[in-house]
Amino acid sequence: MDETVAEYIRRTVLKIPRDEIKTMLQKWGFLSEAQLETVNFHQIKDNISQDVVQLCEENSADIKQAAVLDIIYNNIYPNKRIWSVYQMNKTGEETDFFDLTDFKKKFKRRLRSALKNVTINFREYEDNAIWIRIAWGTPYRKPNQYKTSYVVYHSQTPYVFISVSVLRSNLPLLCQALVVASNYHDIREMELRSHSLNSLKDIVFKRYSQNFQTYCPRPLPERNVAPETVDLRIVQENRNEKERIQRLNREVFGDGPQPKIEFAQYKLETMFKSDPKMDVLDKKEPFRCLIKFSSPHLLESLKSLAPAGMADAPLSPLLTCIPQKARNYFKIREKKGLLPGSFVSP
Amino acid sequence: GVFAHLELLEARAYEAAVKQEEAEQQEEKLARLKARVQELRLQRDELRAKVDLQQKGQLGKEGAVSNPAQPSARAVLEWKIKSLKAMLQIFYLTGISGKLSKRGVCFCISTAYEGTYLDSFHLDLLTKPEVQIYRHSVPIFIPLQQIARKYLQTDIRRFLSVLSDHLNAYVGRRYQADQLQEHFSGQIEGTLQRNSLCNLLVFSYNVSSESKTFPFKVRLLYGDPCCSLPTEVVISCT
Repeated sequence: MDETVAEYIRRTVLKIPRDEIKTMLQKWGFLSEAQLETVNFHQIKDNISQDVVQLCEENSADIKQAAVLDIIYNNIYPNKRIWSVYQMNKTGEETDFFDLTDFKKKFKRRLRSALKNVTINFREYEDNAIWIRIAWGTPYRKPNQYKTSYVVYHSQTPYVFISVSVLRSNLPLLCQALVVASNYHDIREMELRSHSLNSLKDIVFKRYSQNFQTYCPRPLPERNVAPETVDLRIVQENRNEKERIQRLNREVFGDGPQPKIEFAQYKLETMFKSDPKMDVLDKKEPFRCLIKFSSPHLLESLKSLAPAGMADAPLSPLLTCIPQKARNYFKIREKKGLLPGSFVSP
Repeated sequence: GVFAHLELLEARAYEAAVKQEEAEQQEEKLARLKARVQELRLQRDELRAKVDLQQKGQLGKEGAVSNPAQPSARAVLEWKIKSLKAMLQIFYLTGISGKLSKRGVCFCISTAYEGTYLDSFHLDLLTKPEVQIYRHSVPIFIPLQQIARKYLQTDIRRFLSVLSDHLNAYVGRRYQADQLQEHFSGQIEGTLQRNSLCNLLVFSYNVSSESKTFPFKVRLLYGDPCCSLPTEVVISCT
């Protein structure tokens, strides 16, 4: 077995939390159950990984199998990477009969025709997600297995989720290969990025909870309607206001959990508006300013702002439009026209 | 003489009419006040009952004694709720149901395949300034925008019907593919290749006869997006 492959497998195993190593190796399926039984998964990770490499040596693992283990790891822990969403366009309206074998063939052919030194691996999952792992090399050097890009694509959808990592220079090539393989015409990067791949999927596939006002045959989760055995002498002063805020919040955010994004960025290119008499800026130039909101879970924290009393309800549509507009990077420019104001660029 | 007499009669008649009107007004007023008294008495009784209940510490419990022959208000309400739910269930079972919302209509398209009820999809439509889709829960690979472009503005019934056909067919194909994987996992060699719309299925299986096994490969193409049966089947023996 190649030394580089051995080292790569060793390092991949080290990334996995100790309690998960056995299950992940089982998913991988490269080592037999009998072989796995011989490993003591309670020792320190260094030793576990050495043992695993030893077993892989017995089975003569090559880079393809090692790459599959890497895909499995990234599929279970996708939040360690930052994912960007790309949108593809096509003009035809015919039904797409997505053939997976065809897709893989076209993708590999296109990519390899431009760059021979690439390692390409595919893995399909139950939810129709196709994971593609690409390790990049150069025309003169073998692929660097530590410089990988990941692509997640659901067939017959116009969205692709790409985690590039370091080498952005290979991005145009990757995009081209995707467009050709999926029978689309072009591709563009959306202004939507997050660590949580599933949340990005929720946003563009519109899988997040939306409050639809129709009869739902499944029983709605029972809200606590037990009569409050509270002293009637206590009066809730701002009950109306509290209820108004709750109602507005539910209308805007819905009932369920919000998609998880970590930041929203607003680039302002608007004019500074001050009292004309004060004449703060003598040059009428746009006031450039970058506002970034970050949070471990930005949308949930925005949802709790009004009920916590920290902001007025309803919140600014610039904040609440994030899931619906499927973007968290905004450019706000001056509105050209009679009414002074600002508008969000598409 | 006669005219003076007539004038006198007229005056008397006028007076009588005025008196009668006054009397009628008095009666009306009396009746109103009596009704008001009744109302206030009723309110007083209710409040008294509330105070009693509170004093006994039995909030929320039914204290009133109801006549078993006549249904209590609570029973009537429960019956109303039950029949409403049944009505809504019927609408849901028809496959397309809707409800007016603040700014338009909200539709629910329910799908089924051969007696098994499957997913429901929602569409929130605005009606002003023109009919447009505000938000929806239709999967991204269903050509919703295409169908909307063709029919939403001109013929909303057709729009809903076509969309319902697409959704029912998709859900039916998906259900069949899932059933195939579930019930025939032993016979299928390798994995069942499918896609999001489940309109192309490729799989292999073995047929043994005498001592030989023959590997077969099947390719099912569902050409009609509104149909849950394949339009093209290719079976090859490798």
